[in-house]
Amino acid sequence: MAKYIFKRLIISIITIWLLATVSFFLLRALPGNPFQTEKLLTVEMQERMMAYYGLDRPLLEQYFTYMKNLLNGNMGYSLKYTNRTVNSIIASTFPISADLGLRSLAVALPIGLALGVASARKRGKAIDYICVVVAVIGVSIPSFIMGSFLQYAFAIKLKILPVSQWETTAHTVLPTVALALSLMATLTRVMRASMLEVVMQDYIKTARAKGLSEGRIVWSHQIRNALIPVLTMLGPMVTSVLMGTFVIERIFAIPGLGQHFVNSITGLDYTMTMGLTIFYGTFMVFANFLVDIAYGIVDPRIRITK
Amino acid sequence: MRERILEIKDLFFSFDTYAGEVHAVRGVSLYVNKGETLAIVGESGCGKSVTIQNVMKLIPTPPGRLKGGKIYYCGEDITNYTQKQMQKLRGKEMSMIFQDPMTSLNPTMRIGRQIAEGILKHEKISRAEAKDRTIQMLGKVGISNPEKSYKRYPHQFSGGMRQRVMIAMALVCNPKILFADEPTTALDVTTQAQILELINQLKEELGTSVVIITHDLGVVARTAERIAVMYAGKVVETGIARDIFYNPKHPYTSGLLESMPSGGSSKTLTSIPGIPPDLFAPPKGCSFAPRCKYCMKICQEIMPDLIEVENQHSVSCWLMHPQAPKHELPGRKSRVNAQNIREGV
Amino acid sequence: MSNMQIELPKDAFSRVNTSSKESELITRPGITFWADARRRLMKNKVAMLGLAIIIIITMLAIFAPVFSEYTYTKQDLANTNAPPSREHPFGTDSHGRDLWVRVWVGARVSLAVGIFGSIIPGLIGIVIGGISGYFGGKVDMIIMRFIDIVMCVPNMIYIILITIYIGTGPAALVVAFALTGWMGTARSVRGMILQLKEQEFVLASRTLGASPANLIFQHLIPNTLGIVVVSMTMGVPSAIFQEAFLSFIGLGIQPPVPSWGQLANLGISVFRIYPSQLLIPAALISITMLSFNLFGDGLRDALDPKLRM
Repeated sequence: MAKYIFKRLIISIITIWLLATVSFFLLRALPGNPFQTEKLLTVEMQERMMAYYGLDRPLLEQYFTYMKNLLNGNMGYSLKYTNRTVNSIIASTFPISADLGLRSLAVALPIGLALGVASARKRGKAIDYICVVVAVIGVSIPSFIMGSFLQYAFAIKLKILPVSQWETTAHTVLPTVALALSLMATLTRVMRASMLEVVMQDYIKTARAKGLSEGRIVWSHQIRNALIPVLTMLGPMVTSVLMGTFVIERIFAIPGLGQHFVNSITGLDYTMTMGLTIFYGTFMVFANFLVDIAYGIVDPRIRITK
Repeated sequence: MRERILEIKDLFFSFDTYAGEVHAVRGVSLYVNKGETLAIVGESGCGKSVTIQNVMKLIPTPPGRLKGGKIYYCGEDITNYTQKQMQKLRGKEMSMIFQDPMTSLNPTMRIGRQIAEGILKHEKISRAEAKDRTIQMLGKVGISNPEKSYKRYPHQFSGGMRQRVMIAMALVCNPKILFADEPTTALDVTTQAQILELINQLKEELGTSVVIITHDLGVVARTAERIAVMYAGKVVETGIARDIFYNPKHPYTSGLLESMPSGGSSKTLTSIPGIPPDLFAPPKGCSFAPRCKYCMKICQEIMPDLIEVENQHSVSCWLMHPQAPKHELPGRKSRVNAQNIREGV
Repeated sequence: MSNMQIELPKDAFSRVNTSSKESELITRPGITFWADARRRLMKNKVAMLGLAIIIIITMLAIFAPVFSEYTYTKQDLANTNAPPSREHPFGTDSHGRDLWVRVWVGARVSLAVGIFGSIIPGLIGIVIGGISGYFGGKVDMIIMRFIDIVMCVPNMIYIILITIYIGTGPAALVVAFALTGWMGTARSVRGMILQLKEQEFVLASRTLGASPANLIFQHLIPNTLGIVVVSMTMGVPSAIFQEAFLSFIGLGIQPPVPSWGQLANLGISVFRIYPSQLLIPAALISITMLSFNLFGDGLRDALDPKLRM
């Protein structure tokens, strides 16, 4: 187990380094400089800004400086919001995005899993059919479309929930639901498939031959084993929730981190783009790492080697 | 007459598939006396597993369908028992072990717990007591260091050990009858012998009746007091072990015995030509007719009934008809060590 | 009264010569894997419905703009934000452009990106996964480690970075998807090949003298084809989604070339007043994704050997 964790850790670190390096060179390879779009700056002023930020240094030198700073946790100043560090922007806006993401996960996980189990148990009956249909539809409708639709239906037309912003609990309902729905649909599908796979296994027959009740078989034997494949999908799910926050924040005008990412790209705000890329990348790598560990804990075949 | 723990009468069971109805069991009658071992022998697909799994109602219906017949356990008619009623019997009165010990145990649950949960379901004792009994049972089946093994997971054991765990799990509540569905097929020869010996030993100790399903006559020779031979969903011959081995009356049984390789002889291996019939459209006469050396016209037209020809020896074959020509069917004459065949009653 | 005790005519007991060949007649008609799969797929009404919708939408994408007098750029500033009418079946947008034509030209873009953005990564995945699985050893280890490392970071980030560099536009997006989307397929193909290598029929073929090329093309690839086809079909809605996502946040297909995602993006700015401008492209994205998902699900069930009776 220790070996397994160690291996995952090394891979994670290499990944982050690779990401930082690749995005650094990619961004620097773009033509133009970030100050071009500021029409108020003359060419000389642009050059002075470049010098100030060290953007006129040789590329390799810039790279090492950046890496060194990175290791110290310093991601520099935003080239757009010139008096704010990348870190501070992240610190002030990411908690909101994280809040949205966590709420969605908290809603989607229990409901999605429960529906998956219920649908597998009542296979072929009405509730299974409904769950499968709803799940397929849920998976096919992107979260931003669902979000727009919900906003239109409940906020604009029916006027029972706020249209945008993130102030009260009522404000959190629509964005959370929008983000949670497709996640829930995926979970239902995967859990259902996993449960059906498990029920065909021999050890379920053994459990039945022992005289255990259906309920106990499902709970102690089926669900635990069915969760394992679902757990491996948790990483990509967190990813899609994270990506989803970009668009949901846009639709509902929520002051999260997503808008900064998009704007920094179109505005050639190098430090911001770099910083956010590394931040998101690191976050995801870390999340995947945690999922790997959880997987190792839950499946005793990995946790305990002979 | 000895008490019959289990009696199956005229069981008909089919599977409804997209391609039609598969007649898996076509009128099977069997019984098991108290304290004895019955072996059910036959090729793959002859219906032996389906018959026995039917007793414990482990086959999902759909696609399975009970078409007719009766099942009696200790005299009580359990044919139409619901799943809830069966749950009271399973594990406590009757239990089953399966072929593949690799997949028959829950990989994410410690084996001690898997055994203990069976006890706790049927008996009102404390967890600690259940644990003690489990550890005792583990020792009985030959698992070394039972205390430590209680906490282990299935993947930490070898195939033979896992099968021992399965046996422990099946016998821990002291059931009256144990069904063993090909218990040694997935094991190597030495382990096979050990497991069979263990089953025999525990059977003596606990007074359990045993039904062993197998296609391997060697296994039968080691364990069975009575034998039932099945072919294409029907019982073709049944009797005590001696009679079946030395004096088989059905051509199929005789063919099976002939094809058993005997150690150290230079005789060529014989086999029964042909393959079993497709159970989508079972033939109208005797199902073995196309492959039978002694086939007669009547055999292709009408299915022979199962009748008792001598003490406890029943056969389903037209050769038993008084008008039929007499044949001496080859059985195992002298090549099998007499001591290996268990003495039946 | 058993039938053994009945008196029977003498000739009932005359010997019959049985040939074992007769008994080996398999009574159930044999059916090849692919024919069986096709039969099962066609029986699946839901999957067939999905396929029908895909075909309809593709036809509309190809032909609808051809039969209209409007182009996707022609502006009519006197007639902006018009509701659906006979003249403009989907109405017009804020620049007076006919939405019907824009939607179906956008369909061409979204579908092309979706389909090629799934097929090309799929093909790359087969090749790399095949090499990795077949040769094993060091090659396998390096490739798998690379995939492990790279897959830790969300796809979208790579795609965004790549499009920053190579620009936007349908071809660029397809390239971006191709560069990032092959890894999942490679992994599953490799897994399948490893499994197949262990199986006895490969050993049997080798013993009979089959060459590596023979093995690859006659045995390994047909068996992995099922997985790959399903994976490519399911990859289409994923690619459509990614394009829509990118265009929606302004990073994907740029105006004036329309795509469904971009139309949705434009629609959202007037959503409260003219909701149809968002809802129409949104509905099309959803319906298309749904149809591919349904068809893909059906395809997967049809090709699953375990469900084969």
